[in-house]
Amino acid sequence: MALMLPDAGPRVTALVRHNTTLMLREPGPVISRLIQPLVLITLMHPLYAAALAGQGAQAGTIQVVTGMLVMFSLLALSVVGGGIMSERSWRTWDRLRATQARAAELLAAKAAPALGLLIALQAELIAFGVVAFGLRVSDPALLAAAMASWAIALLGLGTMLGAMLRSQSELNVSYDIGGLLFSALGGALIPPGELPGWARAIAPASPGYWAMGALRSALRGQATATLRDAAVLTAVAVVACALAAWRMSRTSPRSRLL
Amino acid sequence: MDVLEACGLVKTYGRQRALDGLTLSVAAGEIVGLVGRNGAGKTTFVEVVAGLTRPEAGRVLVRGVDALARPRAARALTGIAPQETALYPAATVAEHLRLFGALAGLRGTALRRAVDDIAERMDLAGSAGKPAGLLSGGQRKRTQAATALIAERPLLLLDEPTVGADPATRARLLAVVADRAAAGAAIVYTTHYLPELAELGATVAVASAGRIIARGTLGDLSLDKVNALIAAPCSGQALQDPGAEDGHGAHAA
Repeated sequence: MALMLPDAGPRVTALVRHNTTLMLREPGPVISRLIQPLVLITLMHPLYAAALAGQGAQAGTIQVVTGMLVMFSLLALSVVGGGIMSERSWRTWDRLRATQARAAELLAAKAAPALGLLIALQAELIAFGVVAFGLRVSDPALLAAAMASWAIALLGLGTMLGAMLRSQSELNVSYDIGGLLFSALGGALIPPGELPGWARAIAPASPGYWAMGALRSALRGQATATLRDAAVLTAVAVVACALAAWRMSRTSPRSRLL
Repeated sequence: MDVLEACGLVKTYGRQRALDGLTLSVAAGEIVGLVGRNGAGKTTFVEVVAGLTRPEAGRVLVRGVDALARPRAARALTGIAPQETALYPAATVAEHLRLFGALAGLRGTALRRAVDDIAERMDLAGSAGKPAGLLSGGQRKRTQAATALIAERPLLLLDEPTVGADPATRARLLAVVADRAAAGAAIVYTTHYLPELAELGATVAVASAGRIIARGTLGDLSLDKVNALIAAPCSGQALQDPGAEDGHGAHAA
């Protein structure tokens, strides 16, 4: 793999440090993505607990925690794609492309701080669920696998959108509408069984559907279902990253994408 | 041996032919002032040599390395300052220099020394901790150029580096460019300011309609003649110099 070449290490390290600095210098979006779901989980937990009481004591807690986790991590895609879009609007992406760094190195270094954010967001919400509402984690390793596969799927999707779309406003529309749509179809707001028939039929087209499945199954300790859904999320990540790398390697100052 | 040998480059954008068989060579220690009207192909040429744009035809060798077949190897030999300022508003001057120095392969003490040296030479030492978003126009220009000049490369591509720069910035930049050429770097310097080329002792290559139509020293061509060539509309055909095909060519027809 290109990233494993010995000369790539110092470049990727420098780029990751640089990208982390940029993200931390504009902390607003990160902070809001970390705080908002805590508020919503707290306010909505009684509602979900009551509505799903018939499905077991943990059902409401699992639904509200995983639902908010999936929805806000989808909304956090704006941090991932926004970073790529900013590089294009500042014209720094082509400046980086003119260095020895490979496209894969540039994308990986761009993604690394965002991956940290996505993992931190998920860990925060699960920990909050455990501490505040007694959420039980049957198999932490399985849950870690589900969270990791969801995080890399999100990274792939965010990077692909940042690479493919033409402007910040297109990006914002995609994240806002796409995030809500994928969350709702995936069963993040309403349990999948309660969705209208047509929505249930198209729900598997949403990555959120597989994320909800993986997280729910992992919390219940169901290894086969977790790994199946995690595999789907990993495949989504691979396809999205391949498209993003192809697109970004072709960006030209004269392509007038912005 | 020439550091840069570009031969027969063709590049089209839609129906517009930005490069139409452009051929240009630059020897070690030589500064070539690439001049021409807007749209003559100067920036496209720089982008092709830098590996940012792929031509439909032609060949680019940087110190004998085929830049189209082995772009990363060629980039390792090339420093570039693009025409449009490309800086991170939230990153400081020093952070820019460290990043591009590291990407150029500098490490540890060598990197720190290079950052300090180029910051001093470009009069950026006092603003090293300032975010690029808060820099003046001149400081931004100097920071952009410094990211290209931080590592000593055999080939430098400077695309209109002094546009909008104040006289002090221009003087600083020209001094560093002249020093790099004296140290053996081959430099492509696109500009609309011909006196800068005289100051640098550069040879001049006049681009028109995607080709080099004249090549020589300012002594050979004279400022008036170069200005006339640049100003001539669609001068590519009227003034095509067969002698320019070898890239060093013998001046305007």
